[in-house]
Amino acid sequence: MASQSYDAIIVGSGAGGGMSAYHLAKSGLKVLMLEAGRNYDPRVETPMFNINADAPLRGVGTPDKPFGFYDATVDGGWQVPNEPYTVAEGSEPFTWWRPRMLGGRTNHWGRIALRFGPLDFKPRSRDGLGYDWPITYDELAPWYDRTEKLIGVSGAYPPQNLLNTPDSPPGCLMEAAPPRAFEIFYGRAFKAMGIPVIPMHGAVVSGKMEGRNTCLFATPCGRGCAIGANFQSTTVLLPPAMATGNLTIRTNALVYQVDLDKAGKATGVSFVDRKTGEHHSVTAKSVVLAAGSGETARILLNSKSSKFPDGLCNTHGMVGRYLMDSVGLGVSGQFPALEGLPPTNDDGQGTQHTYIPWWGYEKQKELGFPRGYHIEIGGGRHMPSMGMAGLLRDDEASVGDDLRAKLRNKFGSTIGFDGRGEMIPNDDCYCELDPKVKDKWGIPVLRFHWKWGESETNQAAHMVKTFLAVIDRLGGKPLGHVETDGKKAISKGGEMIHEIGTARMGHNDTDSVVNQFGQSWAVPNLFVMDGAVMVSSPDKNPTLSILALAWRSADNLVTLARQGAL
Amino acid sequence: MSQPLKTQPPPAPEPEPEAYVAKIDRRTALAWVGVVGAATAVGAGVVVYGPKMGGQRVTHGYGTDPKLTKPEKAPWSRIMIPAQLQTAAILADFILPASGSAPSASSLGVPDFIDEWVSAPYPDQLKDRPVILNGLNALSGKVLKVAAAERAAALTALPAAADAATRAFWKKFRHLTIGAYYTTEAGFKDIGYIGNVPRTSDPGPSAEVKAALEAAFKKLGL
Repeated sequence: MASQSYDAIIVGSGAGGGMSAYHLAKSGLKVLMLEAGRNYDPRVETPMFNINADAPLRGVGTPDKPFGFYDATVDGGWQVPNEPYTVAEGSEPFTWWRPRMLGGRTNHWGRIALRFGPLDFKPRSRDGLGYDWPITYDELAPWYDRTEKLIGVSGAYPPQNLLNTPDSPPGCLMEAAPPRAFEIFYGRAFKAMGIPVIPMHGAVVSGKMEGRNTCLFATPCGRGCAIGANFQSTTVLLPPAMATGNLTIRTNALVYQVDLDKAGKATGVSFVDRKTGEHHSVTAKSVVLAAGSGETARILLNSKSSKFPDGLCNTHGMVGRYLMDSVGLGVSGQFPALEGLPPTNDDGQGTQHTYIPWWGYEKQKELGFPRGYHIEIGGGRHMPSMGMAGLLRDDEASVGDDLRAKLRNKFGSTIGFDGRGEMIPNDDCYCELDPKVKDKWGIPVLRFHWKWGESETNQAAHMVKTFLAVIDRLGGKPLGHVETDGKKAISKGGEMIHEIGTARMGHNDTDSVVNQFGQSWAVPNLFVMDGAVMVSSPDKNPTLSILALAWRSADNLVTLARQGAL
Repeated sequence: MSQPLKTQPPPAPEPEPEAYVAKIDRRTALAWVGVVGAATAVGAGVVVYGPKMGGQRVTHGYGTDPKLTKPEKAPWSRIMIPAQLQTAAILADFILPASGSAPSASSLGVPDFIDEWVSAPYPDQLKDRPVILNGLNALSGKVLKVAAAERAAALTALPAAADAATRAFWKKFRHLTIGAYYTTEAGFKDIGYIGNVPRTSDPGPSAEVKAALEAAFKKLGL
C-alpha cells in the first residue's frame, strides 16, 4: 500500500464512497478506499430464501442484530462494539445506526429511491424556513438520470406532473411491479380522499437490464441480494471500480484524522486497524470523506492543528451543525375486507410497489406545519414471523382448529402506514466531540444534541390523523395503542437512519463547510461526498440524492485532477 | 406384529399424551442432567437454573456477526428441565394439536423453541423467562401424571384464569407457540403462505383476488 501513489483516498464505502470510487476509478484515478468495517461479499453471505425457523429465536431482533437475525448489517446496529457515542444531558433522545462492513448501509437499506424536487433545494425561498442549497434541481437532474440508469430503479409510469415530485425522464426507470392486493385496496381509499397514489421508485432491477440480474420477486431486500438485483455498493459500484485496476480497498481501517502539510493541504489520513489496534498513515493527492454524516463530522472535528484548533474546516463552527433526520412514525390497521382472500404470492420486489407522495404543498398554512411527508405502506401475505399472534384480537383465546381458521382468515389482512417527513434544521440539533468519552483506541467520540421543532411534531400529529382516517375509510381498526400527540408519537432523532447535514454545502466559508461540489472551503484538496453535505432534509429518502451528489462531486474532482489543481 | 399385553389397560377417556422427545443434541441433553441433579440436591419442587454440574453454562448470544446463510444453533445453554419441557409440549399441543395434514406443535419442536427462547441472554427473552418458567412450574402438577379429564380441565381453565400471572403466562406462551409454529414450512402450508420461491416476474394478484376486492369496495362505498 505504501509503495502506491494515490490520487485520492476515499473514507467509507457506502452510497457516497462507493459512487465516488466508481467514478474516480473509471476515470483513471488511482484510488485507495478505507472502510472501517470488515470485507463483505453479498454473493456468498446473503441468506436468500432462508426461513425464520432456521434462525436463532426465529429471526427476531436482538441487541446483537436489532433488525432481525437475517438483516444484512454486520457488527453494528444502534450500538457498535468498542465504538460508543453519547447524547448530551437534557437532549431529546438520539440514536445512531452504524454497520461495520464493506458497502455500509447500502447493504440493508430500504431501496426507496426518490428524487428530491425543485422546492426541496430552495426551501427558504419558498417559506422563509431552513436554508437554500447552492444548487437547483435542474443542476442535479442529469446526475439523477445517470444514477438511476446505473443502479437500476423500478417505478416507471406516465408523467404525473405532481408538484415537487419529479417524474424521471423516459429511459431512466424500469417498469413498476403491479400493485398487490393490499396496494390496490389502500389506493382506492386515498384516491377517494383526493390523495394521489403512484408507483414507488425502488432500487430494484424489476425488468431486463444489461449486465444485471432481474429480481426474483422473493426474499427480503434487507438481507442484501446474492444476485445483485437490487442496489448495494458492494454489488453495483465496487466490483466495476475494482475491475479497472485503479481501486485498492482496505477494510477494518477506522479513519480518525485528515493529515495536513505546513501549507494547509491534505496529505492523507490516519487510521487505526480495528483488528490489530495499529495506527497507520497513508498519503494521496486528495481526500474524500464519505464515512456517513456522523463519522465524517467526527473525523473533521478530531483533525485538530494549530491552524484548525477546533477541528478541520471548523473555523466558523459549522462542522456538526444542521444535523437532520426524517420525521417518522407508523400506525397499523387490520381490515376485515382483506380477510379470507385466496392465497396469493405477495412477496413482490422488496420495496413497496406504490406509495403516497406528499399532497399538501399548497395547503401548508391551513395544515399548521410547513413541510410535508410521504407515506410508505407495507402489507400483504408476507413470510410469517414471530409476530403472527398479533393478527388476533388481544382478548382472543381460541385454540386448535378454531385458532388455525382464524389465523388463516386474517393472514395478510393488516397494513402498516409509515410517514417519512421533512425536518427543518434547527440550532438544537448538532453533534460535537464528547469532552471525556473515547472509543477503544482513545479517539474522542461524538456527543449528540437533539430537539424536534413544532414543525416536526405538528407534522407527526397530522400523519397519525391521516393514517387513522384511511384505516377508518377502509373499514379497519388500528392495531395496538395509537399515540395521537405528535410530541410523543414522533420518532427519536436518528431513528429513521436518515441523519444528514453536519458538513453542509453552501455559497461561502461562513455559511457552510463545503462548496456545491463537496470541496471544502478550508482545504482545497479535501472533499465531502456523503449525506453530510445536505442543506435540507426533504421527505424523500436521501440515498438516491447522496449517490447523485457524489457522482457530480466526483466528476468535479476528476476535472480538478486533470487540471493539476489538486 | 402386536406384542401381547401382560394386563388389560384400564379404560381411559383420552389417551395419555406421549412423552415429548426433545429435538436436541447430546450437549444439551447432558446439560439437563446437570440441572436436574442440582435440583434434586436442594430438594423436590425446587428448580435450580444455575450452572450445570461439571461444566460451564454458555450464556452469551450469537454476537454481532453470526453466519447468516447457514445459521448455527443458538450458542446459549438450554435451561428448561424435563418436567417443564413435557408441560410445554402438552400446552403447545393444546393450542395447536395435529389437525388433518397439519402437524402438532410438539412434532415441530415448539417446546424446544420455547426452551431456546427462555434460555436466551437477550433483554426481551430474559423478561419472558420467569413468566414462562413459573407458569410451566405451576401448570406441571396439573397436567403431568394426572387423569386425562383433570389435565383437560386444567388446560381449558388457563385462558380464563383469574390471576394476572397465569393470564400473562397463557398469553405469552400462546404467542410464542403461534409464532414458532407458523414460521416453519408446515406453518406456511397451514396458513397459506405460498411465497419465498424465485419467479421470473411478478404477475400481480389474480382475477379472483381483484374480484374479491371489488366486492369489498362495493360494501365500503369505494
